[in-house]
Amino acid sequence: MALRIEIGQYVAARSPVHALDARAKLVCALALLVAIFCISGAAQLVAGAALVGALLALSRIPAGRIVASVRPLALFLAVLSLFNLIFVRTGEVVAVAGPLSVTSGGIWAAALYSARFALALLTGSLILLTTTPTQLSDALDSLLSPLARVGLPGHELAMVFSLMLRFVPTLADETSAIIDAQSMRGGAFDEGGPVRRVRSIVPVVVALLASGLRHAEGLSRALDARCYEGGRGRTHLHEQRLGRRDALAALVTAAFVAVLVLLAP
Amino acid sequence: MAKDALIRLSHVSLLYDGTPALDDVSLEVGRAERVCVLGANGSGKSTLASVVTGLLAPDAGTVELCGERVCADGAPDLEAYRRARRSLGLVFQNPDDQIVTSVVEDDVAFGPENLGLPRGEIAARVERELRRVALQGLAQADPTRLSGGQKQRVAIAGALAMEPSALVLDEPGSLLDVRGRGAIMRVMGRLAAAGTTLLHVTHFMEEALEADRVIVLDHGRIVLEGTPGEVFSHGARLAELGLEVPFAARLSQRLGLPWTCGEKDLVEELCSGAARPTAGAAAAATAPAAPPLSPAPARPRRPLVSVERASFSYDARGRALDGVTLEVAEGTSTAIVGQTGSGKSTLLRLLCGLEVPDEGRVLVAGFDTRTRHGRRGARRAVGYVMQHPERQLFAETVEKDVAFGPRNLHLPEAEVERRVTRALDLVGLSSRREASPFALSGGQRRLCALAGVLAMEPSVLILDEPTAGLDPRGRALLRSVLARLRELGVTLVQVTHSMEDAARAERVIVLNQARVLAQGRPSEVFAPEREKDLVAAGLGIPRSLRVARELERRGMPALGDPLTTDALVAALGRVRAAGGATAGSSATAGSAAAAGEGGDA
Repeated sequence: MALRIEIGQYVAARSPVHALDARAKLVCALALLVAIFCISGAAQLVAGAALVGALLALSRIPAGRIVASVRPLALFLAVLSLFNLIFVRTGEVVAVAGPLSVTSGGIWAAALYSARFALALLTGSLILLTTTPTQLSDALDSLLSPLARVGLPGHELAMVFSLMLRFVPTLADETSAIIDAQSMRGGAFDEGGPVRRVRSIVPVVVALLASGLRHAEGLSRALDARCYEGGRGRTHLHEQRLGRRDALAALVTAAFVAVLVLLAP
Repeated sequence: MAKDALIRLSHVSLLYDGTPALDDVSLEVGRAERVCVLGANGSGKSTLASVVTGLLAPDAGTVELCGERVCADGAPDLEAYRRARRSLGLVFQNPDDQIVTSVVEDDVAFGPENLGLPRGEIAARVERELRRVALQGLAQADPTRLSGGQKQRVAIAGALAMEPSALVLDEPGSLLDVRGRGAIMRVMGRLAAAGTTLLHVTHFMEEALEADRVIVLDHGRIVLEGTPGEVFSHGARLAELGLEVPFAARLSQRLGLPWTCGEKDLVEELCSGAARPTAGAAAAATAPAAPPLSPAPARPRRPLVSVERASFSYDARGRALDGVTLEVAEGTSTAIVGQTGSGKSTLLRLLCGLEVPDEGRVLVAGFDTRTRHGRRGARRAVGYVMQHPERQLFAETVEKDVAFGPRNLHLPEAEVERRVTRALDLVGLSSRREASPFALSGGQRRLCALAGVLAMEPSVLILDEPTAGLDPRGRALLRSVLARLRELGVTLVQVTHSMEDAARAERVIVLNQARVLAQGRPSEVFAPEREKDLVAAGLGIPRSLRVARELERRGMPALGDPLTTDALVAALGRVRAAGGATAGSSATAGSAAAAGEGGDA
């Protein structure tokens, strides 16, 4: 079965979210993420959902692409809420099944944590869906430039991040090809106990590493041939300019944080 | 020219892991010159490309690039190298590794950005170069979703946007299909016409025909040099060097005609000289008629694979396969042809039980792939060699990699040993058993991957473009292994782009837009009345058949639809013998011509 990994894949569209300066977008998103993780009440949750929903609608990204971009992490979300449901023991006991019991506190925690996590996930993927890797790396480059002043490779980190996004689909295709080829040769990915399954992953990882090294070698040849020498002296095709739109985004973010503080339980 | 040389190498040598990759190479490339470097894999041609683009400094010798003396007697000047690199562009084999961003336009801009050009200048160059490679409509597209040929054109645009004095292309077409390769050649033609200096490294001799000068490398040494005409007249020598002489040249040699590379010239020559056989042709004239390639099966063979009205789609956008019905009889060989996107690879995935049809069914060795049990059975019966299978090698030795499958089946150690030995024997890699698969040559790596599949002892072997991306030597090696498997009675199903390969199979299935366009024996599928359909589906007919039909159109007597070069030579021989009235009485000379034929792609 082909792996369809859509994490971090840009979707082109004309929307106010796409048009934001990538630096403003990143900083606002970071503030939003922190705020979302501070949510602890129902009213705050509603406010958060309303804002994220509005931003997604504004971005004009097809709903299918949004779902696809968070699907790989949905399982993680489900496990997270299950743990909350079982292990949180505050409030009244609502149901008992053998040694396990579900409490009202557990239900609330499961709902709150997974809702919060889902909102954060959607915010993160909104950024990746509406920002090209070039914009992202230019923005990171500029935001990390204080690092360069103290001798840390800010620009290079941004470049590595952008190359990583670029190779996600390529490596995903290769992974599914390797898994297909090995399962045709009796590799047991969907049978046997957990130990056998984990062991069956080893040859896949080794083959994938070999292919990663091959790509790295090719890529370094390409970067050399195109005179990439780090951030020094580099110019940019796309100009980064903060405008009225970005100020508005900052205002919305600040307003949201204020609303959350007001609604705090 | 010597004064105006852009690239000058004198007595350059370079060791690679102790063996010389370049050995005393001297070379000059002048401004606006188009030079083609030919060589088999391992001849040092890729190393040469790296030295010429300033990415690799030699161990000995002097290199001058774009007026910079970058390396004097093996001592590199790194600053000079940096300056020279800014005037040199490189495009290489794998398009995936050359693309650094997820937007076409941004990728083309990457080089100029590194050069520190002003924004307006970058934008103008991006637009200009995308138009030059005919991709202006795709400026905002995601390169990973483009075809291989389109990706490679993005890479060319990216190199050209840096306005290099010379562009080096290192096997730009070797991972592309015929159509993608054609597009690259057209772009190169336009560049040459505009006066760009080109150094093109390839193992496709056909691609060298347009060059001003051809250089042939072998074991790191220049062995032949001259105009394409001069170099290609050494047909036998080139074949020894692991290169493939163009079809027209090979045919003209076998017919004893004056040497030519162009199919048109050859047809002209044949038409004018048909009645006057030359000495060489007299030998060919007595060649016996080629035995029919696909003898009608003597006994009815049971179908090993049957696909019944199968349809399949990956998503709602359309069907990848639509109502496909076909059978593969035990012990036969079947070729599947069709354009990129016609559903060939999907069909193979259905046969392997990797996908399940949405409608209809697929039976493999009696197993219906719709159930989990059936898929498991089908997978055991099928050996699947996917495209570029060598990319999936992982073990530390050839032996361990081949043993991976049998070990998964939990066979006793003696049986694993027997199977590994047999599989390595079949592909001719017994002597490399203990070697690391990564130390093998490209062709050997593919054979190693094939051995890994053969060790499963499948009853049907399914191959997806088994020769793609190999050099002529690798292709010939793989073809001979497949022929041996066929003799042993292994059922073969292969997807191929080569109509010559298809003509050698017992059955041909033509796919077009998710449906079966034609199926039957090669003589039926390539019958004259079908030619129009095949061309409309973006396919052709075998080259020998094309030449024969062109000759018939020009008034030559019927040649009987020869599907292979052997058959064409024999048919022409018969016609000439009849025309020449006095056919020689020698009955022995025929086999010599027939034996000279290797691969046909």
